[in-house]
Amino acid sequence: MVCLDQRRCVVHKLSTKKAFIAYFAFGWLLLIVADRVDELRVYQGATIAVTTLAIASIILLTGYSGQVSLGQGAFLAVGAYAAALSQTYWQSPFWFTLLIAILVSAAFGFILAFAAGRMSGPYLAGTTLALAVGLPTLANQFSFLGGETGLVYDAGLPPERFGEEFTLYKWFFWIAAFVALIAMFLLRNLLNSRFGRTWKALRANSTAASLCGVNVAQSKITAFTISAGLAGLAGALLGMISIVAPSAFPLSLSFTIITGAILAGVTSLLGSMLGAVILVVIPEIADVIAHQFGDSEKITTNLPGFIVSVLLILTVLFSPNGPAEAMRKRKEQHAKH
Amino acid sequence: MRQLIGTLLIGLTLGSIYSLMALALVLVWRSTRVVNFAQAGQAIVTTYIAYEIVTRTGVFWLAVLFAVVAGALLGAGVEYFLMRTLFRHVDEGPVAALAPVIATLGLLGVIKSLVGMIWGNDFRSFYPPVSTDNFVLFGETIPFSRFNVLVILSTTVVMIIFSFIFQRTDLGLSLRAAAFQPEIARLAGIRVGPIRTIGWVFAGVAGAIAGVLITPNDVLSPASLDVLLVFGFVAAVIGGLESLPGAVLGGVVLGIGVSFVLNYVGTTLIFPTVFVVLLLALIFKPNGLLGSKKVRSA
Amino acid sequence: MISLRRKKSILAAVAVTSFALIASAVPANAEVGVSSTEIKLGTTVPMTGIAAPGYNKVAPAMKAYFDYINDNGGVYGRKINLIIKDDRYIPQEAINKTNELILKDKVFALVGQLGTANHLAVTSKVRIASRNIPSLFLNTGYSGFADVKKFKTSFMHFPTYVAEAKILSSYIKENFTGKKTCLLVQNDEFGADASKGFAAAGLTFDETVKYVSGTQSATTAQTWITRFAGAKCEVVVLFSVSSATAAALGVASAAGYKPQWILGSVGADSTTLRIALNNPQAQALLNGAIGVSFMPDALDTTDEYISLFREVNTKYSPGVAFDTNVLVGMNAAMLTVQALRAAGKNPTRRSLIAAMESKGSTFASAAYGNLAVSKTSRAGFTGYWFGKFNLAGALIPLDAGRTMYTTDSGTGPVTKASAKRAPLPAKGIPTNS
Repeated sequence: MVCLDQRRCVVHKLSTKKAFIAYFAFGWLLLIVADRVDELRVYQGATIAVTTLAIASIILLTGYSGQVSLGQGAFLAVGAYAAALSQTYWQSPFWFTLLIAILVSAAFGFILAFAAGRMSGPYLAGTTLALAVGLPTLANQFSFLGGETGLVYDAGLPPERFGEEFTLYKWFFWIAAFVALIAMFLLRNLLNSRFGRTWKALRANSTAASLCGVNVAQSKITAFTISAGLAGLAGALLGMISIVAPSAFPLSLSFTIITGAILAGVTSLLGSMLGAVILVVIPEIADVIAHQFGDSEKITTNLPGFIVSVLLILTVLFSPNGPAEAMRKRKEQHAKH
Repeated sequence: MRQLIGTLLIGLTLGSIYSLMALALVLVWRSTRVVNFAQAGQAIVTTYIAYEIVTRTGVFWLAVLFAVVAGALLGAGVEYFLMRTLFRHVDEGPVAALAPVIATLGLLGVIKSLVGMIWGNDFRSFYPPVSTDNFVLFGETIPFSRFNVLVILSTTVVMIIFSFIFQRTDLGLSLRAAAFQPEIARLAGIRVGPIRTIGWVFAGVAGAIAGVLITPNDVLSPASLDVLLVFGFVAAVIGGLESLPGAVLGGVVLGIGVSFVLNYVGTTLIFPTVFVVLLLALIFKPNGLLGSKKVRSA
Repeated sequence: MISLRRKKSILAAVAVTSFALIASAVPANAEVGVSSTEIKLGTTVPMTGIAAPGYNKVAPAMKAYFDYINDNGGVYGRKINLIIKDDRYIPQEAINKTNELILKDKVFALVGQLGTANHLAVTSKVRIASRNIPSLFLNTGYSGFADVKKFKTSFMHFPTYVAEAKILSSYIKENFTGKKTCLLVQNDEFGADASKGFAAAGLTFDETVKYVSGTQSATTAQTWITRFAGAKCEVVVLFSVSSATAAALGVASAAGYKPQWILGSVGADSTTLRIALNNPQAQALLNGAIGVSFMPDALDTTDEYISLFREVNTKYSPGVAFDTNVLVGMNAAMLTVQALRAAGKNPTRRSLIAAMESKGSTFASAAYGNLAVSKTSRAGFTGYWFGKFNLAGALIPLDAGRTMYTTDSGTGPVTKASAKRAPLPAKGIPTNS
């Protein structure tokens, strides 16, 4: 468990071995659940896995090293295109394309981190925003990037030994969940290591941290690079379940990811799955509510967006550290009395 | 030579449009250190109100008046009801940076869907108050019209008025103090709350003017100011978020940069250009062109 | 004594067997989405967001026509229920909503899906082809979708952009040889398809300007017009969406630049253009421009199809202005009804696809010519007629016989023939089988 207060953490934090077992068990649970639910939910499960990974990249970047990125979608796009290109032009096996996605995206993040090194706060935010808007449209410039129709990137069909009933969506889910679980486990270990502690110190007060011997610039760059790599991996997985085209990486994608990070509790890795689930569930609930008002066309089409946005504002206002944190605070208050 | 002049003029026109939105964003930043993504939403509402007035009365300036008043009221309302509640619940930490972004994004979504519910999602438009015919200079038509002059003039006037208020008046001093060091400002007797609201009122006015001046050259729909929000924010950052002339300078630099690329390089590179211009500006001046290092970081 | 564990397995076996018996005893289910009282159809279109204006009228127009048919007996007594979902023009959303339509709402078929990247995402990740789910009358002219091997269950409606470009080239070569010709295209597959067609027809332009979708405005249009005027273009083809076409026309007029305009069909809806031109003299800007259409002009109230569709629109979509988007929607809906009827009294997805392949080319609609759909093609209509816009914004055919220029999306020639069209079914209610 990730905590803000170091002293309390010594008691509650799981050892790496125990965490591994926990993740493993969770993975099995997911597999069993995937067998029981219908296709729609399985596909949503794959989406949740991808979103969780993307949110985790923000938690590392913002929650831990305190850098704000309004354009994480750009890194997703880089990862997706890198993976798709290596599949289309080099016929790389699927697992290899995922690796390419991570490496290329991380390299990209590394380069950007250098340039952004001296930027802080809103300036970095603005730069990442401009990147998210400018990057996907480059695909239209070069025809080998597939233009507006994009590149089809896929994981192939499920292996025959899984049987006929094993659908494509289940295959998506297995891959996405498996990859996300591994990545999250590694990230968790990273965040609990001295890297994580360094980042937290950095986030709290960078001047004090540098006085303690922390190389602020290097630390920030490392965080940015790893975050970009994670986002690139998420992007490749997104390309697998969707399509690798400019319109698949609109600015709203970046905003959705940071929304998910806020819903997760920006410092909570476990919360990232909760955030992803909320992101998927709320629009569906909004749709159902909207259809009760079957009257005017104008109302029914705009109502889901309205409900989602209102819920978002309410969540940010009343539990800005994420619902998980809000519940923990309430438990503490109860414990005090 | 002719192309160069034309490019500069187009750049200036684009720039003044970006500057108006940048001014609104900087006004909010200077008073509450928040990037107000809902600015586009506030501007779209006031523009739709202007649309209603213009189509009913045909008087453009009346519509501008209504839009400005609505913008002021809306700005105050957003600050009072949304932002104050937000700051009551949000303490320090990384959340403090992201929460206002998400809150204002949420508000943007709320406003756009409300606008869609009331007016529908189709195109609307209203006519410019002055002619959009290009001037003819020495027998050559230049890509500049009376309407472009109006836009540039308005931007300049707005910038001068607000700069004057911020730099030369007590109100301006209070605004700057309240944003920079609210605790100390309170000790000095400045009522931080109402002062912040005034900052948002000013921003609302600037945003309303932006919306009303941009739309006659374009079409109106709930999402039509979204792209402008991005360009305006980038322009504000380029100029350094700390100064109003900076916002205008940022807008002009961005506008001219975009215009040059559109005219000389390729018409399809507009979005990457925005990124490149921003990156270049920030590499040389990490706090923006007119920002200074004396300002506290983040 | 039977052990508890054995009891449980016996119970389980009994349960499973009973279930199997019961399941097999129930008569074979009617096709998914077809019940004795209704046929469920689904579509995903951008209803909100930056791509919504204009496009958000097509699906409701389809619904309006289906409501009209439902009030007049439906399809063999079944009412058509069209479920419209908003995909905000994002491929991921199109996949999600299509999944909902197929898996949750259990629709019989998809109709009128919009957006090239969206449909590509749906075909490759929802795999409608391998699941035999028909997607009728796509709302896009991207030529790739005509390929039956790649898009087995998708059916086009409009002529492809490639065909349109070839047809425009043919006309230009006939009438404007020796004149400087220039082109405005959108920087995506819409434009790429067009360029392919122009290249196939061997037409080269003296100046080509590409714009990025979403950035068109009067100010950016200044750049385009500066280029065209600078190159002294005498004929300018605007193969762009309405807002870009309007920007170009408006700015050119302000600059005093008056070439011969040729408008591609996508951006040529005069109602939308009039709004987008937001100029009191908007009508004059369109006047004299040449345009193409594969259907009669939306403002042509003398046409029997148009006047029927207008009546349906007034009755079932009160307050909605009748324009090309509404016309496209109703046309697609009328074709859909005929396809459903041709699929038989107990339609299945297979029979619907077979009906499209074998009878699709005989369906009646406002469009001139026939759908080029067959067992080996998924193409839609293939011909355009040329007209000139007048002061009222109406597109008037250049010749009384309304010559149709027809071609394919490959290297086939452009042929000309007099426009032919099936007469309007009585009261606009198809009775085919």
